[in-house]
Amino acid sequence: MRRIINIAYYETLIIFKDRILVLMLFLVPLLYAAVFGLVYVKGILNDVPLAIVDLDHSKSSRQVVTAFENSPRFQRVSGIETYAQLEQAMRQGKVRAGVVIPERFELQQQQQQPSQLLTVYDASNLLWGYNTRKYLREVITDFNSGQTAKYLAGLGMSEQQIRGVMNTVNCNYEVWYNPTFSYATYFYTGLLLMVIHQICLLSISLSVTRDKERHTWVQFLSSPLPSWQIFAGKALPYFIVNFFNYTLLLWVAAHFVHAKIEGSLGLVILFGLLFDVIITSFGFFISYVAPNSLQVTRYLMLVSVPAFITSGFTWPQTHIPLAINALANLMPYTWMSEAFRMITLKNLPLSYLLTHLAVLGGMSVVGLALSSTFSKQRKPPQHSGVLVNSGTKY
Amino acid sequence: MIKALLVRELTYLWRDRGLRNILLFGPLLGILIFYVTYSAQILTVIPTAVVDLDRSSASRDLVTKISQAEYLQIVAQPASAPEAEELIRRGDVLVTVVIPEDFGRHLTLGRQTSVYIGIDGSNMIYSTNATTAALTVAKTVSAEAGVKALMARGLPREQAKSAYQRVTLQEEPWFNPTLNYAYFLVLALILNIWQQCCTLAAATNIISETGRPSWTQFKLAGLSKWTLFVSKSVVHIGVFMLLILPIYGICFGLLKLPLHGSWLLLLLFTLVFAIALHSVGTLASSFARNPVDSTRFGMIIALPSFILSGYGWPLEAMPSFVQSVVKLLPQTWFFQGLNYFTFKDPGWLFARHYFVALGLIAVVCYSGAAVITSRK
Repeated sequence: MRRIINIAYYETLIIFKDRILVLMLFLVPLLYAAVFGLVYVKGILNDVPLAIVDLDHSKSSRQVVTAFENSPRFQRVSGIETYAQLEQAMRQGKVRAGVVIPERFELQQQQQQPSQLLTVYDASNLLWGYNTRKYLREVITDFNSGQTAKYLAGLGMSEQQIRGVMNTVNCNYEVWYNPTFSYATYFYTGLLLMVIHQICLLSISLSVTRDKERHTWVQFLSSPLPSWQIFAGKALPYFIVNFFNYTLLLWVAAHFVHAKIEGSLGLVILFGLLFDVIITSFGFFISYVAPNSLQVTRYLMLVSVPAFITSGFTWPQTHIPLAINALANLMPYTWMSEAFRMITLKNLPLSYLLTHLAVLGGMSVVGLALSSTFSKQRKPPQHSGVLVNSGTKY
Repeated sequence: MIKALLVRELTYLWRDRGLRNILLFGPLLGILIFYVTYSAQILTVIPTAVVDLDRSSASRDLVTKISQAEYLQIVAQPASAPEAEELIRRGDVLVTVVIPEDFGRHLTLGRQTSVYIGIDGSNMIYSTNATTAALTVAKTVSAEAGVKALMARGLPREQAKSAYQRVTLQEEPWFNPTLNYAYFLVLALILNIWQQCCTLAAATNIISETGRPSWTQFKLAGLSKWTLFVSKSVVHIGVFMLLILPIYGICFGLLKLPLHGSWLLLLLFTLVFAIALHSVGTLASSFARNPVDSTRFGMIIALPSFILSGYGWPLEAMPSFVQSVVKLLPQTWFFQGLNYFTFKDPGWLFARHYFVALGLIAVVCYSGAAVITSRK
């Protein structure tokens, strides 16, 4: 144990001598959490810029205009009076949705004919698209309910009778887990897990390559220390810092960004520890096999986007082909992000998470086995080739 | 001399095997992964469970309506509400509809009855669509029941129907009429990988010279730093543009991703972005102590830039000071512009601001790098 602590102490000293590494471990995760937190702090898409082209200019059309103006979902942009202007404003992103009230709108209503509104929305960004479509339908549904109630009142029905007719079949819909449709709850925590994944991987992956470049790795190889002790000592500081970052970032998410983080604290800690073990052990092993710091940094930097997109955290796995799902299932992030959502958002107990626990546990075992049994045999000295871009020798 | 420098830089880029592999294969691998991931393109099937506790003809009618609803697909008919809830918890279904006992009898007698619709809101891509679908089903079912109730009170059918058909909607999703996720995201994600790969190369620009022991000899040789770094930059930017051509060719030619604007405008815009991106990498490489640090600086900016660019979560939904800060990044202008130039074709006049902003970023970053490098 003393040997492990000595190595860990030595590694900690090296970390603190490398200013950029210190920043990456202690500041960058918090910086990312703060910046992403500010991006998603509103969480809900409100005030969608909306143009209303009223070609009827009647009392009825003004009621439609008022319904949209009173909706907290929309922010009416004035000065757009024609269809051509609406088209131009949509192209230039000044508005994201439009409502066109046709001529003879009121007349059609008076003649008991169904009157049609044209609603357009910007689907080039589907976050705008899907939300705006939902909001448009909500406003019109509410408007229609009001109009139906007025119509029935006009037929001499009492308020109670109207309620009775209109609520003959009352469809109550309830959105579970994220009823406010908050993006902070849906997306932000997954992003934080990726930040932790990347920062830990990028920092520990230099732990051996750095020694190789300083020609100090040979001292570890020629020492009587067993491989597992070298791994444990070198990985320990990263493991501790990474877990600290995990808790810190979740605290930021819950307290400042108001992402919903509920569920069992024990499970959050258990899965966090497993995730940490996996990344730390695989990161060490990558560092062991990597030729130099520059290459390993470059390759690992590019992992984050594909890992996030293919994980099923956003676009569901049911709609992703088998081959990609199979690849994604090899990544710890895929399992961790889903398990984290099940714990913190769905508030599910361990019995629902046994598969995730088994897979992450299996990954931990494989990672630990690889990193703690590495060969200490010295490789023959490499031919010192041309130095390229100040960093790599071929 | 300049030709020799250009050839030298090209040789260095080629000899850096790791960087060469990343530049050549990174974006192409991105095309493969992202296009296959989004190959379903449209989220049409939302697994739904229906609990029919009534089993009357009215409830069967309702089940039929649900099965015909936009997006909803009935995949389970559990016997009780708790069973359906369990399916939601396990993620097997995303919507559950519970039709109560006596639904049909209450409907016939004109009494009130309630249908429960539960939606799993944990994944918003699903839940936004599921809610829209549920809203539509609820509206239809409620209106039909209301019409029947009015007819039962002696109102003629037409009058009863017109009470519920006050205003109908004709919806037109513009620019991406099929609400295609692949159209929305695939090209942007590939370009995100491309810009990350380019940043890796740009981050070697200055440190790859100043970090070498031969830098002193270089200076003593009397070669102008300006000539050296401009030559290197021209090669880098040229390579970035050469890399983008097959990407655009595959995306627009083979995968038929939408390009409603002009080819020329998009290519010019990409060139200006490549210059701005290169300037940021060059600035990082000017003050870094070694190539690893330079790569880290570049990627600290490049990695989150796509999220911050407002391509997904819109800029307008971010606090105003965050909007101002993220506009300092060239990626924000690029990904915003990409949306306009591929989907909307807003014209050259509109595009001018984007060119100016990227140009300004390039001038500032190259100037900063020049000042720092002049002291080395």
